[in-house]
Amino acid sequence: MAATKPTIAINKLGKRYGASENFALKDLELEVLPGEVYGFLGPNGAGKSTTIKLLMNFIQPTEGGAQILGLDIVNDSVELKRHVGYLAGEIALYPKMTGRQFLGYMADLHPPKHTKYLNELAERFQAGLDVKIRDLSKGNRQKIGLLQAFMHKPKVLILDEPTSGLDPLMQEEFFKILKETTRAGGCVFVSSHNLAEVQKMCDRIGFIREGRLISEQNIAEIAEVAARTFDITFVEQVPKSELETITGAAVKMDSTKQATISMHGDLSPMFRVLAKHKVATINQREINLEEEFMHFYQKGKS
Amino acid sequence: MKSAIKWTLWQRRWSIVWWGAGLIAFITLELSVYPAIKSQAKQLNQALHQLPDTVRSLFGAQDLFSPVGYLNSRIFYLLLPLMLSILAIGLGSSLIAREESEGTLELLLSRPISRGKLLLSKALAGLLVILVVAGIATLALLILVKAVGLAVPLPLVAFAALQATSLAILFGALALAIASFGRLGRGASIGIASLIGLGSYIVASLESNVHWLETPAKALPYHYYNPISVLYGSYTWMVTAVFLLISVALVLISWLAFRRRDVLSS
Repeated sequence: MAATKPTIAINKLGKRYGASENFALKDLELEVLPGEVYGFLGPNGAGKSTTIKLLMNFIQPTEGGAQILGLDIVNDSVELKRHVGYLAGEIALYPKMTGRQFLGYMADLHPPKHTKYLNELAERFQAGLDVKIRDLSKGNRQKIGLLQAFMHKPKVLILDEPTSGLDPLMQEEFFKILKETTRAGGCVFVSSHNLAEVQKMCDRIGFIREGRLISEQNIAEIAEVAARTFDITFVEQVPKSELETITGAAVKMDSTKQATISMHGDLSPMFRVLAKHKVATINQREINLEEEFMHFYQKGKS
Repeated sequence: MKSAIKWTLWQRRWSIVWWGAGLIAFITLELSVYPAIKSQAKQLNQALHQLPDTVRSLFGAQDLFSPVGYLNSRIFYLLLPLMLSILAIGLGSSLIAREESEGTLELLLSRPISRGKLLLSKALAGLLVILVVAGIATLALLILVKAVGLAVPLPLVAFAALQATSLAILFGALALAIASFGRLGRGASIGIASLIGLGSYIVASLESNVHWLETPAKALPYHYYNPISVLYGSYTWMVTAVFLLISVALVLISWLAFRRRDVLSS
C-alpha cells in the first residue's frame, strides 16, 4: 500500500456545524488508491454526505484536511475540480432547462476535452436531452446528473448515492463506466446504503456511524460471511427439527407453515432439506448491511 | 466567468422582457395623460397649495403640474426608483441565495470556478439585467417626454433615470450582501433591503417637515436622491458615483461573507 501514492488521502478530517457541540464527522482517516472504487457506507445521518461535501469544499473542515491527486481540498479547490466529477445525493438541476441546455451550461463552465464523449454517454444512457428537466422522471434526471459528472472524463469520481432511480440496465451501464474510469487509473469514492449495489461496484468499503469510521474491509470478505435470510412457506407443516440440523442455520418459526432461516456460508445443505418437502414460496430478504457489517466487525475484533 | 454571466442572463431573459414591458406600460400610463393636465396646470397647482406641506412632500414636490414637477412626481420621485429597486432587491436576494436553497449552487461550485468569480459573475449578470431594464425604461421615457410635449431637456431626463438606476443598484447590492451570509439571509435580505429602501423614501419625504428626522435621513440613501434638482439642470456625478461606490463595497462584503462559508444543504 505504501508503494502507491493514494489518489484521495484524508487526514483527521472533522466537521462541526455552526454552534453545535457535536461533530458530524470526527477524525476521519482513509486513503483511496488509483484504480480503486471505495464504498462509503452507513445509515442516514452518519456523516457520508458531510464527508463528500468537505471533499468538494462546499463546507469548510473544522479540523484536519484532505488531499486529492496531491491537491489540498480547501486551498487548491478550483484546480482540483478540473479532475473531479461530482454527483449530489439529491440532485438539483434547473427545471426549466432541457437536458441539452443544462449540459451546455456545465460544459461552458468547464469545457470537456473530448466533445464527442458526451454524445456517446448520452447514447449509452439513452438520455432524452431535449425534454425540459422538470418533465423528466427521477431516473431520467439521475441520468442527466451522471452525464454532467462523467462528461469531462474525470480522474476522480465523487458520487453520493449514484444509482438511485436508475433501472437495472442503466445501473449496469453505470457500473461499466466506473470500470472504465478505474481501468484508466482513476478512482471512485461512492457513498451508499445498499450492500448489494456496493458489492457490485466497490473494491473496498468503509463503514461510518455517528461521524466515525468504524472499520474498513475488503468487499469480498464481507460478502462471503454475510448471513442470508430466507422467508419460506411450506405447503404442509414446517419440518422444524430437520431444518435445525442444517449447519450454520438459525431457524425462526413464523407460523405452522412459515419459517425464517438465516444462514452463513454454503447454502446447499439448506436446499437439500427443502428438496425433501413441498415448498410454496421462498424469498430472500435484502441483506441488512449494518447488522452484517457489525457482525463482521465484531468477529474481526474477537 | 463569461459563461456564468451568459447563462444567468439566459435564465432571466423572460424576467427582463416582462419588467421592460411593465415599465413601458407604467410610464405610458403616467405620461399619456399629461396633455390633458397641461392646460389646467395653473389651477391644479393652486389647489395643491392648499394641502398641508407634509402631504405635498410625500408626492415629491411642491409643484406637481409644471413639466419638471409632473415628471418628478409621476415618474422619478417614486415609480421608477421603486420599480427598479424591487427588481434589484429581487435579484440581489436570489442570484446566489436561490441557487443555494434549491441546491444548484453545488453544481456550479463542482466546476473549476472560484467562489469569488462565481459571485462576481452573478453580480455582473444582475447589474446587466438592471441596466437593460433601466435602459428600456429610459428609452420609453425619452420617447414619451418628447411625444407628449413635456418641456424638459432630454439629457436631463436621462440623467435623472441614471440616478434612479444607481439608487436601485445600491439596494440590490445591499440585498446581495445580506443574502450572502447564508441561513436566514435570503428572507432577511428582501426584508431589510426593502425596509431601508421604503423607509428611507418615507424619511426623506418627511424630513423637510419633521425636523427630528433630518439627522437620521442623512444616513439613508434616499436623502441624496434628488431627481427634481437633476431635472432642473443641476446634475452632479457625485451622488451616482457615491451610490455606485457603496454598491461596490457591498459586493466586496458579499464576497468576504461567501468566500469561505458552508454552502447550505438544500
